[in-house]
Amino acid sequence: MTRTLHLHIDRADGSLQRLIGLVERRGFHIDGLSLSDDGAGRRVEMAVRGRDVARCPETLGRQIDKLFGVTRFAPSAAPHPERVV
Amino acid sequence: MTASAVRMPEPAAVPKSGARLLVSTLERLGVEVVFGYPGGAIMPVYDALTGSSLRHILVRHEQAAAFAADAYARRSGKVGVCLATSGPGATNLITGIANAMMDSVPIVCITGNVAQAVMGTDAFQEIDILGVTLPIVKHSILVRDPADVPAAVEEAFHIAASGRPGPVLIDLPKDVQVGQTSEDIGFRYPNAVVPVDHDAIARAADAIRQAERPLIYVGGGVKIGRAVDPLRAFAEATGIPSVSTLNALGTIATDAPGALGMLGMHGTRGANEAVQEADLLIVFGARFDDRATGKLAEFAPHARVVHFDIDASEIGKLRQTQVAVAGELPAGISALTAHLAPTPLRIDPWMMRCATRAERTGFRYDAPGEGVYAPALLKAISEAAGDDFVAACDVGQHQMWAAQHCRFAKPEAHITSGGLGAMGFGLPAGIGAKLADPDATVVVIAGDGGFMMNVQELATLRRYDVAVKILLLDNSSLGLVRQWQELFFNQNYSEVDLSDNPDFVRVAEAFGVEAFRISRREEVTAGIARLLAADGPCLAHVIIDPRENVWPLVPPGKNNAEMMEGA
Repeated sequence: MTRTLHLHIDRADGSLQRLIGLVERRGFHIDGLSLSDDGAGRRVEMAVRGRDVARCPETLGRQIDKLFGVTRFAPSAAPHPERVV
Repeated sequence: MTASAVRMPEPAAVPKSGARLLVSTLERLGVEVVFGYPGGAIMPVYDALTGSSLRHILVRHEQAAAFAADAYARRSGKVGVCLATSGPGATNLITGIANAMMDSVPIVCITGNVAQAVMGTDAFQEIDILGVTLPIVKHSILVRDPADVPAAVEEAFHIAASGRPGPVLIDLPKDVQVGQTSEDIGFRYPNAVVPVDHDAIARAADAIRQAERPLIYVGGGVKIGRAVDPLRAFAEATGIPSVSTLNALGTIATDAPGALGMLGMHGTRGANEAVQEADLLIVFGARFDDRATGKLAEFAPHARVVHFDIDASEIGKLRQTQVAVAGELPAGISALTAHLAPTPLRIDPWMMRCATRAERTGFRYDAPGEGVYAPALLKAISEAAGDDFVAACDVGQHQMWAAQHCRFAKPEAHITSGGLGAMGFGLPAGIGAKLADPDATVVVIAGDGGFMMNVQELATLRRYDVAVKILLLDNSSLGLVRQWQELFFNQNYSEVDLSDNPDFVRVAEAFGVEAFRISRREEVTAGIARLLAADGPCLAHVIIDPRENVWPLVPPGKNNAEMMEGA
């Protein structure tokens, strides 16, 4: 099943590479990717699909939440504890 | 820079180079020791080091710089720092960076790079180290302007040490190092405070009260999260038995009541069988590593799970959790203890069952023969060294024997490459630990395979007279691989023979390090005494039986109750 992630990433060196690498390394295919400049950074829409049923999109979301310079728009998701100030 | 950073005005500064700003920022952050190796693209930083308050330890290979910084951080509780040049200098750091990532150790790795004008042109010693290391860092920063150096360094330190710690890379192109700026802006990062989820704590307490066979599963996160005292108080107040991961050994003293030892592949029978029988696992700062769980689908088959962790992404990653408590461990554990305090748990039969089994299945040290029995030797040296004992372990059979048989009174006493399992870690780790805590009795526990991977660091020991004691257990083979070939590959011994090892006593002496040999069991007591009494660095070369195996062992693909025992 494909899920679409809605994200914002900053312009720092490696940000996009860091995000894509994490998603693939954690066992997800990237089936679609769009990127647009919003002035403050880049908006990303990414369609992802687990390589097997054991891959949990919620866990992937929490792993993305740990990246610095990346914001995930997921209204139901609690912020990662490391990112709460 | 994270949004929470507060810009701190600094007095107007005279122009400084990026390299000098790096050094002055490290000084301002309280860094005392950096481990490194110079080269072309980091020369401005080495120029700026001259006259600074930083003590630079010149290792003989960059991998050792990263390992030493890692162990320095583990032992000191500070951020470890290492330096390397571009290209091969930077790539030589990689195993050390990965090690710190896997074990959640706060280090900052600073690499030089070629000037920005030639980045991307395959210039001499150019490597995209930021790209290469992306999967193995908590974060990384390519600094493109000298004025950004202080903020980048402070951000790197903050990220490395906060939350779940980890390695941060700072890549400094050469033009940034030599470029001049009058900016010297510092930032202060407030510590993030995660409020305790009292509802979740209450649910955890309810689950514990309902359990008949609760078990504490301690991970390395307890030590990292500075929650050792709250955890010990929780264990003592409730009487719940505990098992430990490799990286958590000593979090609850290994000889404390209810401490059943390490779980997993080479865990104790008392620990593994308790896990398989438990009806509730109370997990603190652990990640259900496969070496701990064995066959995951059959791990703790009767247990519900309460999981405390600073890293929410670890909760539910591999094992379904009934109660999740994401956040700071000290506050969470203390709140849990307070919840349970009014009513003692009724788990006496379970406590008795665990204690009786641990007693009945405990290790024995009466192996026949006259050769040195490594488990007994390791137990003896840890007891002889006392509470100041710190083991800096390499990777292999000796590492597992140390985990099984050494006495660890505190978690900082056991420094090991747990997640990555990096051979060659022991000697540079010993150097880092001893420099972090000169009063500790630091014993490097190494095998002949791993020791040869960073043997050049004997020169570092001698140069700085670092009084590390090296216990080199020599079975003339890659013992753990040989053991698996014996047990699981029909005794087809492929490329594990190291019987052409050099004479390690003469090697050490050639580096100017005192050394002697222990060949027979009757020499062990005197040998330990000599090693521990040596004024400076000293190596004991211990000959052990190449056929000796690590027992017990959970075979691959089996659950933790299916342990093999040796003859």
